[in-house]
Amino acid sequence: MCFALTVCLWSAAAEVRANEHYEIVTNPGVNEKTLSVNSLRSIFSMRLKTWSDGTKIRVFVLSDEDQLHQIVSKEKLNVFPYQLRSTWDRLVFSGTGQAPIKVNSSEEMLAKIATTPGAIGYLWRANINENVNVLEIK
Amino acid sequence: MKMLTCSRLSSYFSSSVRWLGKGIAVLWVIGAVSVQAQQLDQPKSQSESAKAPVKWVQAKDLPAEATEAGNTKEKPGVVSTVLKWWNSTDRPGDLQIHGFVSQAYITTSDNDVFGNSDKGGSFGLTEAGLNASLRPLPRLQLSAQVLSRRAGEGNSGMPRLDYAIFDYRLYSQEVNQFGIRVGRLKNPFGFYNETRDVAFTRPSIMLPQSIYFDRTRNLGLSSDSVQLYGDTAVSDWGTLSTQFGVTLPIVDNRDTESSLLGVERPGELNRQVSYIGRGIFETNDKRLRLGISGIWLNTSYDPTKLRSPLELGPGALEFTPVIFSAQYNSERWTLTSEYAIRPFQYNNNFHSPRFNGLHFVGESYYFQGEYRFTPKWEGFLRYDALFIDRSDRDGSDWVAQSPVSRSGLGHTRFAKDIAVGIRWNVTPAFMLRAEYHHVNGTGWLSGLDNPIDLKTNRPIDTHQYWDLFAIQASYRF
Repeated sequence: MCFALTVCLWSAAAEVRANEHYEIVTNPGVNEKTLSVNSLRSIFSMRLKTWSDGTKIRVFVLSDEDQLHQIVSKEKLNVFPYQLRSTWDRLVFSGTGQAPIKVNSSEEMLAKIATTPGAIGYLWRANINENVNVLEIK
Repeated sequence: MKMLTCSRLSSYFSSSVRWLGKGIAVLWVIGAVSVQAQQLDQPKSQSESAKAPVKWVQAKDLPAEATEAGNTKEKPGVVSTVLKWWNSTDRPGDLQIHGFVSQAYITTSDNDVFGNSDKGGSFGLTEAGLNASLRPLPRLQLSAQVLSRRAGEGNSGMPRLDYAIFDYRLYSQEVNQFGIRVGRLKNPFGFYNETRDVAFTRPSIMLPQSIYFDRTRNLGLSSDSVQLYGDTAVSDWGTLSTQFGVTLPIVDNRDTESSLLGVERPGELNRQVSYIGRGIFETNDKRLRLGISGIWLNTSYDPTKLRSPLELGPGALEFTPVIFSAQYNSERWTLTSEYAIRPFQYNNNFHSPRFNGLHFVGESYYFQGEYRFTPKWEGFLRYDALFIDRSDRDGSDWVAQSPVSRSGLGHTRFAKDIAVGIRWNVTPAFMLRAEYHHVNGTGWLSGLDNPIDLKTNRPIDTHQYWDLFAIQASYRF
């Protein structure tokens, strides 16, 4: 029964990500299962700082030059990586916000998302496992 | 006369060529070192991306294994270990620490900018900052920055508290946020003011001086205030970010006094309640940004009992600039323009015919194009114009008011600056750049770096047409 349910959920999830090679992922403790693209952009712009239940959002990114970071910026968020960088710099150096936390590899991203409460980031599909939740972006 | 000009010109050229040569040599050496450093990094990142897609981390013992792998395979240096610790999430309250340090070398044909730049150049501009931010509660952020700026006579390099902010998010619902900030805040005006000391966030070494005056920067930079802010979604087009603050401006410094009252006076400028506000609309793709900022600055002069020829009466003045900003961003181009109108009103209590009832409206604007040849190489081109009095653009009316003492000084009432520059992002954390300005006018020169003769009230040694060349290296984390 449990196995069947898992398989069923798995195939449903697979359908959602049929067209892309990467996903937006969150820590399993995050209640949100879907998010609007505007909310997602607001999160990666470091403006939206809390999930709907009031807990902290913690944003993880790869370096500006990383291929996945560039693809997520352009395709999912519809902004250029240099624009995100200048948005974050403005927040950090004016004292009005914080920068996302930089990780150095997909493994580190997976580990951080899996273990950090409220974490959100992105991963190649090949790197995703059941320790993180895949977020559906509408 | 002609001979004189020629010889002067040629000596200027030979000296700038010499300095250019030295500058390029310095750039080359620094560049070579950082490229070396970068090459050391490269194999690491290649191996990461190569192994990333194939590896499937086992679910049950994931955290331990992943961190261990990260530690053993990367062998980071001391600096990166420290930085990693600084920016890791494992510390309480999501503490983040960031900072920057920049050094510029500036040489001018005439006139002094940030030190004695016209006698062979100077390393007079050094900027460094260190900030920390903390989120003890999901809705609460505390942050503070200490800044040191060594720039000519106006800034000694003495570290000062740049901002210290208590920021509480009152309302947060998806794309709509409202909150309050209390403390010493950066003044939100124009696109660049809040981060003007951070070389990485500026389009050039010298910001367009018509709007971002460096001579009154201490006044413009930050103030003790209470500020309400909000981000609201505008239909499906974008986000409107607004800030409104009640402030006590920081006027107790030499630069501000000399700019507002001609020279340093024996008495002091008082801090009076002032207002500041800004709205920036940004489309969802951040391609188009449109802003309007306004300041209503009040200050008054507090004379001493000293009987000095420089002493004034207890006058008050109002400065109420409005700035319109527009920017278009594409993958390679960023086009930016800002326009400011700057009314000054002095009241009748200064006991000085020069200041009593003085009213004039300044005007400033610039057009700027930045182009990213590659992510590492960028260039910019800008035209920047300042008019101290928009109804007297060449200063001739001002000269006519007092022809004897002001003859030939019309150029102190405007400045038109054409600038071109190049930037090399050697690594994400290290940047080098160079730029050249040709300026007609001395309207934004600092009075402290280019003093006036107190007997004649004339600048001692300034020239209408001049050139500026600068290089800068900057590091941030």
